[in-house]
Amino acid sequence: MTSIEQVNRMLALVPYLQARPDGADLAQTAAAFGVTPKQLLADLDVLWYCGLPGGLPGDLIEVDIAQTGWIQLSNAEYLSRPLRFAPDEAMSLVVALQLVRELGGPELTVAVDGALAKLTGAHAAARPPVVIDVASGSAEIRRRLAEAIERGLVVRLTYDGQTRAETTTPLVEPKRLSVRDGYGYLDAWSLDRDDWRVYRLDRIAEVTVTEATGQDRGAVPGFGSGWLDERPDAAEVTLLLGPDAHWITEYLPVRHTAPTPQGLAVTLLVADPAWLRSWLLRLGIGVLSVQPPEAAASARDAAREALSLYQG
Amino acid sequence: MAPRKTERIMNLTICLLMARRFVDKAYIRQMIEGYHDLSDTAFERTFERDKDELRRLGVPVETGSNDPFFPDEVGYRIRRADFELPPIDFAPAEAAVLGLASRVWESATAADQAVSAMAKLRAVGVDPDPGRVTGLTAAIGGREPAFDALWQATMERVPVGFDYRGEPRRVEPWTMTYRRGAWYLLGYDRNRAGQRVFKVARAGREVTPIGKPGSYQVPEIDAARLLASLQPSRPDTTAVLAIRGDRAPTLRRRGEPAEAEVPPGFAAYRVGYATGGDLVGEVCSYGPDVIVLEPAELRQAVIDQLTAIAGGER
Repeated sequence: MTSIEQVNRMLALVPYLQARPDGADLAQTAAAFGVTPKQLLADLDVLWYCGLPGGLPGDLIEVDIAQTGWIQLSNAEYLSRPLRFAPDEAMSLVVALQLVRELGGPELTVAVDGALAKLTGAHAAARPPVVIDVASGSAEIRRRLAEAIERGLVVRLTYDGQTRAETTTPLVEPKRLSVRDGYGYLDAWSLDRDDWRVYRLDRIAEVTVTEATGQDRGAVPGFGSGWLDERPDAAEVTLLLGPDAHWITEYLPVRHTAPTPQGLAVTLLVADPAWLRSWLLRLGIGVLSVQPPEAAASARDAAREALSLYQG
Repeated sequence: MAPRKTERIMNLTICLLMARRFVDKAYIRQMIEGYHDLSDTAFERTFERDKDELRRLGVPVETGSNDPFFPDEVGYRIRRADFELPPIDFAPAEAAVLGLASRVWESATAADQAVSAMAKLRAVGVDPDPGRVTGLTAAIGGREPAFDALWQATMERVPVGFDYRGEPRRVEPWTMTYRRGAWYLLGYDRNRAGQRVFKVARAGREVTPIGKPGSYQVPEIDAARLLASLQPSRPDTTAVLAIRGDRAPTLRRRGEPAEAEVPPGFAAYRVGYATGGDLVGEVCSYGPDVIVLEPAELRQAVIDQLTAIAGGER
């Protein structure tokens, strides 16, 4: 962290604390500024020596830190409002709002648009040179899900599953809408599987809200980008790719890649054999070999079965 | 981070903010303790650097003269109206989405900027209630090695050089786009003398500034057209496919029911596709659940690919 970043923070911290004349909690304040309590104490230590030119005792900012972690600041009326936004600060917030907009139903959209209008309004910030495009399905689907989450109701989805490439109608308790890696998801408790499941919003064709009330299933687990790692049934498979198939490394959760004289060796974590089968069928001769070889057997069988339909 | 330096810059800011007139360097040097122990040259250098750093933060340090007859007698000040965040007030629902938005970045640089912006809003009394957005989470990526540097360059309009697929490129960044989990940079490519789109994941980590901030103009960009150029090509022809039951939903929903003779349990659909795209791969990926009925070339291409897979002991 540089001094100038510290200055930037202090120019907000001084008005923040003055707006709370009864004081503020150290840990909470640190969290609001995205720093550790230790760092915030260091900031306050510096503020002791700041104040009006001349530096007489009465000119300095007064800081009070209680044993309980309660902090107060006064004698700095001249810094009662924060510094205006630096262009990039407002932009990162505006871009993030554009993403949040993709999450919910009409109420959320109204709130986001209101916040955006004020942020980008005449005084505050410019529209950033950034375009956000998230695959989050229809607003109507999101509205119904958001409403069911709020009311704690069970819903029946019409879901175009990709892995098994079929449409199913699971009964789920919707718990959370999220956006990660550029797609909108519904995190839900599946009553059919009796476990957490993740559904891509753009693959939910329909939502029917039932009268049934869901149960408390505890906190939604974090499905980070690496959540496949936590699946005990996942197995490693290594594909040797010809040049035409290299592109998949940008789309699939690749564990590692290694160039070899024969081709690019790509190791994937496979939780569902049907998923691997569909990729092997799609890539055809772009995949030069598969390790372990058994992993390719079901794709071969599927190809033979498909060919028999063409002969029929 | 040097506490003495932070203290000096803070006091400089307050001093210039409180000045009713332009104040000259001698006055500043005398008033701010942090400048006392410096030699003349060290003071000049330090003061210039402090001033530049403040301006980079967005602090409007103005230069001017109090006396129209002696315009060479330069002084400095910060005008309060240019310094302070203008009045801004959010409804509770708006504050809640702002709080959520301030936490979505996975890029360290952008995350710091968003938190810093949010802190300023909190300083004017905006107090997000996380209880209003409990059923929602979001993450916007930006973990690519070159992301932070390219983001910063785009925001500040700094021309940059970087390696792209092993080739050095010199680019004036115009705009960034986030699509399907990947970040793209659109800009003017000086090497190719034209507009180009770069996938940020393919850019090398080393991004070097090759010009000053704001040193070029960004043309009006048609965002919709830009996005369209990143999308797969538009359908230019149609195929008739037989699809089994409720299988292959993405293909089914793209198509319309069609009349054709199909095996039991299948239904026929007419599906649009781009000749330059990969419908062969897509159809094959469904194995025995999708059969091409026409056109004949597509049918043959699928049969060839399936034959290669079926016969190979790979």
